[in-house]
Amino acid sequence: MTTSSNKKPSIGFVLGKSGAYAILILGLVGTLLPFFYIIVSSLKTTEELRQTPPDFFPKNPSFEHYTAILTDEKIPLTQNLFNSIFVSLTRVIITLFTSSYAGYIFAKYHFKGKNLAFGVILIQIMIPFQVVMIPNYLLVVKLGLIDSLWALIIPAFIDAYGIFMMKQFIEGMPSELMDAARIDGASEFGIYSRIILPQMGPPLASLGIFTFMSTWNDYLWPLIVLTSPEKRTIPLLVVWFQTAHVSNQGLILAASILTLLPIFVVYIFLQRWIVDQATSSAFK
Amino acid sequence: METTPIFKKEIASDSGKLMAKQRRFAYTSLVPILLYMGLFTLFPIAWAVVMSFFSYTPIREGSGFLGLGGANPFIGIDNYIELFTENTKPAEVFRLALKNTFIFTALVLPLNLLITLPLAVILESIGERFKTLFRAIYFLPTISSSVALVIIWSYVYAPGWGLLSLMFKAIGLVPPKSWLQDPSLVYFGVPLAMICVVIAHVWQDFGYNLVIFVAALQSIPKTLREAARVDGANAWQEFWLVVVPLLSRTVLLTSVLTVISSLQVFVIFQLLTRGGPQNQTQTMLLSIYENAFRFANNLGLSSAMSMILFIIILILTVTQFRILRTEWEY
Repeated sequence: MTTSSNKKPSIGFVLGKSGAYAILILGLVGTLLPFFYIIVSSLKTTEELRQTPPDFFPKNPSFEHYTAILTDEKIPLTQNLFNSIFVSLTRVIITLFTSSYAGYIFAKYHFKGKNLAFGVILIQIMIPFQVVMIPNYLLVVKLGLIDSLWALIIPAFIDAYGIFMMKQFIEGMPSELMDAARIDGASEFGIYSRIILPQMGPPLASLGIFTFMSTWNDYLWPLIVLTSPEKRTIPLLVVWFQTAHVSNQGLILAASILTLLPIFVVYIFLQRWIVDQATSSAFK
Repeated sequence: METTPIFKKEIASDSGKLMAKQRRFAYTSLVPILLYMGLFTLFPIAWAVVMSFFSYTPIREGSGFLGLGGANPFIGIDNYIELFTENTKPAEVFRLALKNTFIFTALVLPLNLLITLPLAVILESIGERFKTLFRAIYFLPTISSSVALVIIWSYVYAPGWGLLSLMFKAIGLVPPKSWLQDPSLVYFGVPLAMICVVIAHVWQDFGYNLVIFVAALQSIPKTLREAARVDGANAWQEFWLVVVPLLSRTVLLTSVLTVISSLQVFVIFQLLTRGGPQNQTQTMLLSIYENAFRFANNLGLSSAMSMILFIIILILTVTQFRILRTEWEY
């Protein structure tokens, strides 16, 4: 890396190294301060939360709101947590299967109408959710899925973006192994399940992480199709707290942090991968 | 269109039979997928288009396919005419929402670029280890639940004791009594509540453009910059004459994507300001949602609203694909 001393770009050059770091750290504080503020606030007692003006830090940090939200029988938190986990994991499994399977067909088979079929699938990417929001709601009502967790799962079997991603990946895999397997008598599905699938670890992991995160954070569609408290997913619970428990700020804060936590845990371990994937997927 | 080479050369005699078997497999696999797409994507799109020409409310027992007809009559383009010309409550709110959505987008885009472009250039200039760390933290809001982020911002904007008011007081300024609820506070023609929502949204969203710009900067070949240096360009000239032109396509594309997503922001409007005060932060998507699901109003009218938003987004999407398709090489 002999050129590395030359690569110092202009702005950094003009401002100097310390100026560059000063700006970056300012941005860092701006990004983290709101998170930090609600984390420390969630550890305050109810009296401290009501106090005006409030102190930034709690005097005696306590987990009372967390224990309250976890143990209060009137709050179906465990049920709601289960709902979120169930819906997210089911959607991950289904999306991984349908995307890799359809991606395999589009990447490795030649047949009439292939481009048309792929075009039909890509329509899903072109159509913003709000266009189909109302008819999909009416459809879910007709199918008898309203206020059921399946209303979050069944309309999401096919992910056009996932199919696109998997197709790109499988196209890069050599066809020789597939032919060898055919000669050995493998079925076409056997080629998918025993030759293609085992090589797809990294792209499936990326797709799985993104599907999990977007399902976990999903709000508008669950808001429309779920009505009863025990069917809610976690974001809906937080919103319900915000409207129903206005007097108890502590519970809202604790619930918000519980919503953020699983995604943060995933992110801490996989941040580099997640950021790289988000970057590379932007222009496809 | 590459086919399996070995297969062609060595077992060509069986190829017809094998090809037929493969085609059969492909068709039987795709048929259920396409039927599913038909039911959950194509059919709803057509339904939404058709519904926008009807006066449709699900509680009215209509006649005909999907209850469109009878008590839910076909009214041609009356829904669209109402939205653009008549003085009914939903139409007035919608026109306001259209204006607000454009104001929001027009503020989000420049603010976003103003933050992300310089920050990306600075970030690209520092060492690899810190770069990864900073990038990861800046990206944190974009992966977080919007609902939880709105709760965070409600603490920032809380009147009197919120984080922002406390910061104002700490530096000796007098904060407004209310950040989100006073309709009389308007700066340069933009309501304060809208400014607050723009800031919260840009905070939540800037990490995305930032990492894209950093990646684009990294992909500019070092040789081009070095060549400029050798030719005697100073740092500023190198930046403006080499880096900026090479970045222009990425910036253009990212801008289109940012506009498309800004037009569809929902959570922050629904939960932080609820469209208020006095509809100053009412947006198109919020208006569609409220008409369809909160007031259980005329779904035909709501569908017409979503068609208008769709056409705007479609034009932008086509633009985006045009830019993507242009030949590009460093």
